[in-house]
Amino acid sequence: MDAIKFAGEHLWPGQLGHFFVIVSFVTALLSSISYFAAARSEQAMDGGKGWLTMARGAFVLHAASIIAIFTALFYIITRHLFEYHYAWEHSSRDMPGEYLLSCFWEGQQGSFMLWMFWHAVLGLIVMRTAKDLESRTMTIIAFVQAILATMILGIYLGPDIKIGTTPFMLLRNAMQNAPIFSSPDYLNFVKDGNGLNVLLQNYWMVIHPPVLFLGFALTLIPFAYCIAALWKGDYQRFIQPTLAWSLAGGAVLGTGIMMGGAWAYESLNFGGYWAWDPVENASLVPWLTLIAGLHTLLVYRNTKRALTITFVLLLLTHLLVWYSTFLTRTGILGKTSVHAFTGDGTALTYHLLIVIGALLLLSKVLLLVRWKQLPRIKTEEETLSREFWMFIGAVILFLASIQIAVTTSIPVWAPLAKWITGKEFAPPTDVMSHYNNIQVWVAIIVGLLSGAILYLRYKNSDGKTVGKRLGIVTLISLVLTGLLAWGQEIKTWQYDIMLFASLFGIVATIYYGISVQKLKFKKLGPAVTHLGFAAILLGILLSSYNKHAISLNTTGLSFNLEKKTQAETIQENMENMILFRNIPVAMGQYTATYIGDSAVGGKDKRIYYRVSFDRYDSSAKKLAEHFMLYPDAFINPKGMQGMSANPSTKHYLNKDIFTYISSAADRTKSDTSTYHTHTVNKPGDTVYLNNGFMIFNGFSNEINDKRYIPKEGDLAVKARLSVYDTKGQRREIAPIYILRDRQYITQVDDTLEDMSLYTRFGALNVHSKDSASVDIMVRQTNPMDDFIVLKALVFPYINVLWLGIVIMVFGFSISLGDALNRKVKTPKA
Amino acid sequence: MPKGITLRAAKPNGMKKTQIVLLVLIMAAIAVLISVFGDFSSYETFASAAKDPKKSYYIIGTLDTTHAMHYDPKADANHFTFYAKDKAGTESKVIFSGEKPRDIEKSEQIVMMGFMDGDTFHCSKIQMKCPSKYKKDQVAVGKG
Repeated sequence: MDAIKFAGEHLWPGQLGHFFVIVSFVTALLSSISYFAAARSEQAMDGGKGWLTMARGAFVLHAASIIAIFTALFYIITRHLFEYHYAWEHSSRDMPGEYLLSCFWEGQQGSFMLWMFWHAVLGLIVMRTAKDLESRTMTIIAFVQAILATMILGIYLGPDIKIGTTPFMLLRNAMQNAPIFSSPDYLNFVKDGNGLNVLLQNYWMVIHPPVLFLGFALTLIPFAYCIAALWKGDYQRFIQPTLAWSLAGGAVLGTGIMMGGAWAYESLNFGGYWAWDPVENASLVPWLTLIAGLHTLLVYRNTKRALTITFVLLLLTHLLVWYSTFLTRTGILGKTSVHAFTGDGTALTYHLLIVIGALLLLSKVLLLVRWKQLPRIKTEEETLSREFWMFIGAVILFLASIQIAVTTSIPVWAPLAKWITGKEFAPPTDVMSHYNNIQVWVAIIVGLLSGAILYLRYKNSDGKTVGKRLGIVTLISLVLTGLLAWGQEIKTWQYDIMLFASLFGIVATIYYGISVQKLKFKKLGPAVTHLGFAAILLGILLSSYNKHAISLNTTGLSFNLEKKTQAETIQENMENMILFRNIPVAMGQYTATYIGDSAVGGKDKRIYYRVSFDRYDSSAKKLAEHFMLYPDAFINPKGMQGMSANPSTKHYLNKDIFTYISSAADRTKSDTSTYHTHTVNKPGDTVYLNNGFMIFNGFSNEINDKRYIPKEGDLAVKARLSVYDTKGQRREIAPIYILRDRQYITQVDDTLEDMSLYTRFGALNVHSKDSASVDIMVRQTNPMDDFIVLKALVFPYINVLWLGIVIMVFGFSISLGDALNRKVKTPKA
Repeated sequence: MPKGITLRAAKPNGMKKTQIVLLVLIMAAIAVLISVFGDFSSYETFASAAKDPKKSYYIIGTLDTTHAMHYDPKADANHFTFYAKDKAGTESKVIFSGEKPRDIEKSEQIVMMGFMDGDTFHCSKIQMKCPSKYKKDQVAVGKG
């Protein structure tokens, strides 16, 4: 085996890449150790200058080698070097250019690389800005980088213990047992790669992972600052940078999560933007703890209270990011998540568990060692103080994250539970209502707090003023709630309260911004962020509560007002509707007609299904509205049977109509129609069709059809035909008959897609000098053979949700700007 | 009441308001967690699911390819029937109220959520585990 010389392999990019992986690991480790030494020798004569220089140099080298790893892998992917497993696995020759980037993050190693890249970038910024905390924060950052580098190291310690998986593994090493790799010229047989999962061939997949991973990476910096503060025993200096980094993290991670939602909504057929899927939850949980920690940090900055819980929350946030990596990357979620992540075996599981254990131990030990000396305030806070309610809000967010984490982690704790109870635990059968029933209360409390808290001052507030202002807000919100609950027919009382809470949040923040802050931009951060948050709650409520399918299949539906049984719930789930070609079907207030399909061609392998939506005004008896939707699908994508569908959505200001194809006729199997021959003798002769008729207008030899390329010696003639459909509309078609070199007969057919009409110039029969007859062959597909199965959902007011996200992120940015400008730490009185 | 014992205030000494609130919230959270524990379902077999025919469970099984699958969207776009074998090896007819999931022929494991009715399992959710592309025998071999 060793002796085989393989032909055509390009080994140097992989060797170079793997070399830089090792360099990045060594430099990160060196940097971490040097920074540690620098921190230890701060009190020394030279202040640990030598160590510091070495540590910085090592980190810069580390960042550079990550760029080199990226370049090497990018080279391999763009050059289609399929001797590398990564390129073979995730890319293919026909892939559109912009998705070459997506192949990076489709794979395990690529996403670790992306994560490392962001850490390196952020590390360089911290290096320049952390000043006297540099050595300590950077010790942690470089340490975590070294850990991440082990994930892509791919080094064997003995035959069974492997540390990490290198992205530069060769295909023949990844699949040693496959017989083709015993032939030295195996590369001649590996012509193309597997390509990117069609679900990921989407522009959201290009931008969503980088943003999400930047969000994940941003949690490391508050983590590092908290460790540094505990390590140094300085609980003042870390506040400002930690606050700024947490605000950035809240904004970016929040954006990343919602981009995932938008991706699911725009291009996956989950039928919504949020499904409480384990993978979504895994990124939401650290966001919740980050937001909670951010608020307790504000409490600490302003009142010197709540330091311990701040440390706990911010340290936990980063640990939870690792935990979410554990959940999503090891395949442990297996049967509970729709995200088809494949596990990388037990090696990764143990690797990640060791990392989480080590970081947890570090945080715990430091916290316990310093526990006694952490500054605490003996006195009680006032009930009418901002810190008191902020603290409660933070605890609520934290408890919410625990609930989500417990349910999401079912596969993790199920073996233990089985050992105790003997029952094999599974996720709730109705996941959505399981989470919604609990989290609606979190939304209510946090919604109310996000508005009310702005009116409270730190330490103590004037009850009268607060009461008066909140009274006005409550009154306005109550009126709005009544109107909206009535207008939107929100009849579940819990959701009526949530409606009030979100409207209260919106009214309170707007009123606060205008009448209390007088629109002073720099101070508007909290109000704007909270406004965005409350708008998100409102958007979620309005779009999900009245989300409904208009493609309801009502055939055989049993009307029963009794308590719903499982069978009836299933009936309600019947949201698929079959649409035969050209047969209009009522859908809500629209009439939907499937008109036909088309392919764009080129690298776009999708088939677009044209569906016309028409709304008739029954009183005016005319067409009030018309639009087309083009839900599309990959039919039989590479290595798969069946189809992979992408939705198409009609956006209105106040609602979305969301459609996708859940099934379509397989034309290769279902088209059973055959040609029938009709002979026409003279112009004016008629051929009758299923859905109209056709008149022969004579011959012509003026042919300008792109499909016919003239050649010398051709005798080409076309039959001019006028087709009239049942509405009397006339269209011209002209099938062509070619006699090439006086012996070969070829035909160019002409079709009318929307009438399912295929015509062929079958034969030219010359009877005498001036009489000839034509055999026109006609094939009409049975309209029942061409159909799509469509799901159409209406999401009302979903724009409120998207707008809320934009406002919230904008608010975070204002606060970030404010935090960065506040260089001098003056505790507010 | 014996002398010398004074009634303490309901608020114990040293307990701060935040601590009381914290305690209350944590108790509430525990109560919520316990009450939603009933939401959690379990993995069953066709036989054990049949014992409580009204309740929904998850069943892990494999597609039984010896029987034909049936999906005719023209008759009913929400009706797909197939046969599955559960972990105990029992075979059952399954009616899925939805479209035929793509690639089900290739699945090596299917997780079905639903309930038993007589000898038929009615399911409303299907998740499949398909052989991953990592499989060693799946190298696409082109002709040179």
